[in-house]
Amino acid sequence: MVDNIGSYSCQKYNFAGASSASGEDGIMKEQDRLLPIANVGRIMKQILPPNAKISKEAKETMQECVSEFISFVTGEASDKCHKEKRKTVNGDDICWALATLGFDDYAEPLKREILS
Amino acid sequence: MRQAGRYSGMLCGGLSGRSGPHSLPLARIKKIMKKSGDDVKMISGEAPIVFSKACELFIEELTQRSWMVTMQGKRRTLHKDDVASAVIATDIFDFLVNLVDNNSSNSMDNPEDISS
Repeated sequence: MVDNIGSYSCQKYNFAGASSASGEDGIMKEQDRLLPIANVGRIMKQILPPNAKISKEAKETMQECVSEFISFVTGEASDKCHKEKRKTVNGDDICWALATLGFDDYAEPLKREILS
Repeated sequence: MRQAGRYSGMLCGGLSGRSGPHSLPLARIKKIMKKSGDDVKMISGEAPIVFSKACELFIEELTQRSWMVTMQGKRRTLHKDDVASAVIATDIFDFLVNLVDNNSSNSMDNPEDISS
């Protein structure tokens, strides 16, 4: 009974065979590796028509994809910092990495919003 | 700290000291960023905020593309396979190809298999 109630937080058992770049997943709890399914599901729902349904596995897959996206972009941004002998990855580096990796559609609205 | 709107808050106040509601948890994003590589040591305050928006856009795009596959199949429930198809069909999502491939081959009939 208790397990069922906590089914969303028991994500650590649902590996779904995802391969992660980092080899230290054994140490990091599954929940820490992914963004919360509720948040991810909400964003998905908002973009879909009202009559659309989303399977739980689809949300879980999306969670995995987002984490991979973060790793992928961060890796690129971090490489740039390293080459430029900077220690801190900042917002501009992320925007740059997004544009470099083909997500220029995201970079422009982001830059406009961040501009302070 | 409540803002009139997420975006107007970003434009007017910049990002320093802004701790208003985001759709994705910043601390978790930061954890995932740190896990992406040993090089990633220091992350500026605004980087997770930038990612919060970028991830939202990413989820929206992948969801929309997946939904198109769902509709082609004349279905109303977005399935994990639809996400996989969308990934395969989109160049910029190439980095996810292995991820969705592992997902579909490891969890064939029992998506909630407990594997450790």
